[in-house]
Order: sequence, then structure tokens, then C-alpha cells
Amino acid sequence: MTEPISLQPDETFVLNVGPQHPATHGVLRVKMTMDGEYIYNAETVLGYIHRMHEKMAENRTYPQFMPNMGRLDYLSAMAFNHGYALVVERACGIEVPERAEYIRVITVELNRISSHLVWLGAYVLDLGGFTPLMYCFDDREQILDLLESVTGSRLTYCYFRFGGLYNDIDDDFISGTRAFIKRMRKELKMYAKLVTGNIILMRRLKDHGPVDQDMCQRYGATGPVARGSGINYDVRRNEPYSVYPEFDFEVPVYGECDSYARYLVRMDEMEQSLRIIEQALDKLPDGPVNPKKKPKLIKPPPGDYFAAVETARGNFGIRMVSDGSKNAYRLKLRSPTYSNMHLFDEACRGMLIADALAFMGSLDLVIPEMDR
Amino acid sequence: MGTKDVPPSIDTIPSSFVQFAIADKVIALGRANSLWPLTFGIACCAIEMMCTGAARFDLSRFGAEVFRPSPRQSDLMIVAGTISNKMAPGIKTLYDQMPEPKWVIALGNCAISGGPFVFEGQYGIVEGADKFLPVDVYVPGCPPRPEALIEGIIELEHKITGWRRWPKVKPEWRESGSDES
Amino acid sequence: MKIQEKTKEALSTLFADLPSSEPEPDDAEEGEKKPVPRGNGIIEQDYLLKGFHLDVQLESEQLLEAVQIIFDLGYYLESITGVDWIKDDQLEVVYDFSRYDFDLCRTVLRTRLPRSAPQLPSITPIYTGASWHERETHDFFGIIFDGHPHLVPLLLPEDADFHPLLKDFKA
Repeated sequence: MTEPISLQPDETFVLNVGPQHPATHGVLRVKMTMDGEYIYNAETVLGYIHRMHEKMAENRTYPQFMPNMGRLDYLSAMAFNHGYALVVERACGIEVPERAEYIRVITVELNRISSHLVWLGAYVLDLGGFTPLMYCFDDREQILDLLESVTGSRLTYCYFRFGGLYNDIDDDFISGTRAFIKRMRKELKMYAKLVTGNIILMRRLKDHGPVDQDMCQRYGATGPVARGSGINYDVRRNEPYSVYPEFDFEVPVYGECDSYARYLVRMDEMEQSLRIIEQALDKLPDGPVNPKKKPKLIKPPPGDYFAAVETARGNFGIRMVSDGSKNAYRLKLRSPTYSNMHLFDEACRGMLIADALAFMGSLDLVIPEMDR
Repeated sequence: MGTKDVPPSIDTIPSSFVQFAIADKVIALGRANSLWPLTFGIACCAIEMMCTGAARFDLSRFGAEVFRPSPRQSDLMIVAGTISNKMAPGIKTLYDQMPEPKWVIALGNCAISGGPFVFEGQYGIVEGADKFLPVDVYVPGCPPRPEALIEGIIELEHKITGWRRWPKVKPEWRESGSDES
Repeated sequence: MKIQEKTKEALSTLFADLPSSEPEPDDAEEGEKKPVPRGNGIIEQDYLLKGFHLDVQLESEQLLEAVQIIFDLGYYLESITGVDWIKDDQLEVVYDFSRYDFDLCRTVLRTRLPRSAPQLPSITPIYTGASWHERETHDFFGIIFDGHPHLVPLLLPEDADFHPLLKDFKA
């Protein structure tokens, strides 16, 4: 594979990637010091889409802040809904009916698949293959149709309520989801043939983008990035929340520490998500989706609270500090790609720039979630 | 909404001194049917922009699917997302780098007015792309559906050629009166 | 031995010279009626209620030592954040740590600084990933992390001279 040549700091030049660059999936800027085609040093500049979510949390009441969750990470908005609902429910002691918990899991997992599909399409597009994007978006539209029928929106969902959900799912949704699972299983086999085994893709990803376990710990990387480095860490398993303990699923872990391992983790995760959805549909209990007893005004008792969920990109945590009023005193959003992207600066040193962009894609970046 | 003055946009497309009426019309027709948008996603709306270009909605039916990564090759800027103060100079530069004639679509509420991110004491965003760009078509929604973006592109074609590709569909509920729920 | 007890034991060496009585776990820091300010020490929190296990308050001088203990025990850094307690004229910096293994123990380190001179040692020599978190906290609260290699605005524009999450911030 590529051998990093001996680097000559005095022969370097600065290359500016972004903020408008198709490979950065948004408005991310990386200042790279280059030695020819090799990266000598890189500095990531964030903040081009800083949207003041944390300031807004202090200005709005708890229910009013819920729509922001869909806009934080627009690809896996459901999981972010879940995290915020969890922390407020924990603070106020609101019980969630069982049916609501199951529907939460179903929608979150559907959303996870759709997020990974966008990643797959866009990633292969970054690497130069246009066709998979069309297939991925076609499959994704099926999920969006299902979710739209219950949530009312295509992308930026605001479906969860404290203690429950906006509305119940119907039989059409259930039969549609079952049909989708069948279809998706077939499609995943097709992706394996179309993309996974492709020799060009393998040559570009294998042994590139090294992220070892020590680096993960120092930077706090989570999600598929950590799991591609052999760390068996998934918040759904390590810190079970909602009804996840009741499902039988595996956490895919690969120990190769390269881009291809992260790729395989995500591909396997889609399969596991399908398994979770299938089990949840089988076990789906009857009953209400909103609690009978629920405080009219959400006013958590003073103190600070924490909740974490597994989004499509990793561990999303919320630290909420309440002073007993109807606005949060401080709401800290710990977004997964913020930590995942941070290790790029260190890991890309000595890489070819083309490999660095392939590595960046394997981190699965969503910039608004990073900048908040 | 609608209380603030919108700065007047450029209403004539700069062209040569010598005008050839029919030739101009033909050229405008060509331009309208082959808009090349800039690949420039800022936030959530960019995903819907991708959807519009991808399988189901297929923007290439309207000749606008050639997304160019370089501003120098494109003539349509779709401002898809919130413009932060830090990003605004960059967008201005991109717009300046695009060759004439060029058009701007403000996609989504954030690009129209700042959308949900406008509140008292906000410190980070520009409240609308029309604060510093001449916007031709506004597409509302948070985010707008792909159909809305397609309608926006058709509306832009209408603006360029003065001729609309399809007649506007009147919504049915307007005709059938108020008893429709 | 469970990691929670292990961590508690390791961290309690920092508070050896303090009186042995532990502070009461209920909201000693906030509240309407003039609360008793919380002293330094370790509190074991109810996970189901709060979402974290160990809650450690310490002096800023003890921070590096505590973080080194936490690092050696195999924790990863989740986030660093600030809270502006304008009524007490103090800024609080909160460090969240979590673990990769199945022995779940979320640990929180917090330290209070005077609002007039918010200075804290940087933990970037231990956790490299703290760099962005510290820069972000510097952006939002103006807390200065001594020894940080590159303390310039990250999320705000490069020339920003305001700290928007301070409670007395006016746009």
C-alpha cells in the first residue's frame, strides 16, 4: 500500500478544502498543509452552520425545543427525538406506555436504515460510483413514505412527545413495514454484490484511514467509527434504554481499524435494524401511545440530568441543567460526529489527499449536528 | 412575515447592446431547459435537494440535474439551508464566481427568512438569503418537499422565458367551496 | 470489583484531607431558598433518576490529577461544557466521561470558577480530543484553558469577541 514518504516541512503548501466542497457533505472546511500529494498537517474549521441550538434551548420551553431535534441531525432525526424525550422524561419522571416504546424503536430503526442508505449512496458517490446513489435513494424513499404516513414529515421529524408519541401507527404502516423488510433484505444482497465486493472499492478502503482503539479513547469516538476499531460499544447494548433489551440483535464489530471495517459495520447494522423492526412488529402490544397522567406544564425539578442514545453515527448525549422553570437553564448536546471528526486531524497525517477524502466519508459526517 | 422590505432584485438580465429578439428568446429557452445548479448543500434542505435529483423525483426530466461542484460551471445557485454569519462571505464569493446570467433559488424557510432560527438575541445567522443575494424564486417549507423544488425550478423557467412549461394546477379545495374540510 | 467502586476509591484519594462526612446527595447546589453551596467531594447518584453514576466536584488544581486517574481507568471523554451560575457569580465546567465496556459508569467531574477570572488547566495533554470541546467552551463562556495549544474560536467566527451562552449576553 501507500508508503508515506519522508515529509519535508519546508516544501509544503496550504490547500483549503471547503467550506463548499462536495466531499465534505456540507459546509465543513479543512485547512491542509500539503507536501505534494501527501498531507503533512490538517486543521478542521467548524462553525459554518452553527445554528445556536443550545442558546435556543434556553429561550424556549421544553416542548417548544422538540422541533430543533429534527434539525440537528436531519438524517437520523428520530434518534435525536428519542434522546431529548428520554432526558426530559427522566427529569420529570414521566412513564412511557409500552406500545409507545415499541413504536419508538420501530421508527428509530427505520430512520437508522434510511440514514445509512444516504451515507452509502453519498460515500460511493464520493469514491466515484454514481449508480448506487440512485438505488439507495429509491430504497430510502420507501422508508420516507412509511415514516411520512405516521409523522407527517419527510425528513425533520418531530414525532416524539414527552411520555409518548404524536400519533399511533395504523395497519397500513405495519403491513407496509413488513413489505419493506422483505424488499430491503433482497436489496441488501444486491448492495453486497454491487458495492461491497467491488475490487475498486476494496482497494480504496482497505488499510486506509487507520483509527486504533487508543485513538478512539483519546478522542471519544463512538458509533460505527469505534465499532470499526474493534470496540464493542453500542449505547443500545451497553446502556440499555427504552425496550432494546427485549430484542435479539447483534452489534457488528470489526477489528481492522480501516475505512472498510467502518463500511462493513454500517452495512451489517442495516441488517440488524431490520431484525429489530421485525421483532418489534411481532411483539407490538396494544394500548395507548400517550400516558394517562402527564404534567400539563413540563417543569423538571432543579438539578442536572443526562441521557444518551445511539444514533446512526454514535453516542448522542444530552446534559440538561434545570433550575425548575419552564426553560432549560443549560442544555448541552453531545453530538457523535463532533468527536468522530476530531480524530481526522491526527489520523490523516501522511495520507494521500484522495485517501483522506475517502477516510472522511467513512466517518459519516453530518455537519449541522457537529456545529449545532 | 412580509413586514420587512425586501431589497429589489435585478430585474433585467444583462445582455449585449445589440438585441436580437428571436435569437434571445431561443437562447433563453435553451438556458431555461438546461439549468446547471451548483452542488451546494448547507443543511437539511440539501438532502431534499439530493432526493430531487435522485431516483424517484428525477430532476433530469426538467434538464436541471447536472449538479456542478464548481461555481464557474453553474448558472443556478440553490441556497439550501441556514446561512450563518461565518458562511455568508463564502456564499457571496461563490455567487460572484458564477458566470452571468445566473439565478438564485432560496430553498427552505431558513434561506427565505432565517426560519425557525430567528429569535430575540440570536447571534449567528443571516435572516434570509435576500439580505445579500438577488433571489429569484422562494421555495417555502422546512424542508420543502422535492415537488416544491421542482415547482420552483419550473417557476424559474417561467421567469427566464416568460413561458410556462405546464399550466398551473388549481388546487381542488379552492373551487369546491368552504364546506370541504 | 465493579468499576464504580474502583473509580470512587481511586478518586477519593484526592479528597483525603477533607472531613470524611459526605455531602448530602440532594440538590445542594440549586434551589430557590438560599441553598448550602455544595462542597467538594464525590456523590453517588441514582442512575435511573439522573442518568449518571458518580458526581465529583473538585478544585481546579485537582483537575489534572483526577482526569489522569479517569484516563488510566479506561474512560473516554464524552463532552466538556460550561454552566453560567450568574447568581453565585460563578462558572461551572462539567466534564462527562463514559466507558466502552459493559461495566457502565458515567462519571462527571465539575469544578467551579469565579466569573471574573475563569481559568482552568487544559486536559489536552491527557485527552487529545478535549481540544475542540475546550475551544467550544471557550467560545461560549470565555473560559481560558491554560496550556491549550490553539485556543481560537471554533464554532464562532474567527474574530468573535463575544461569549453567547453567558447569561448576561446581549446580541
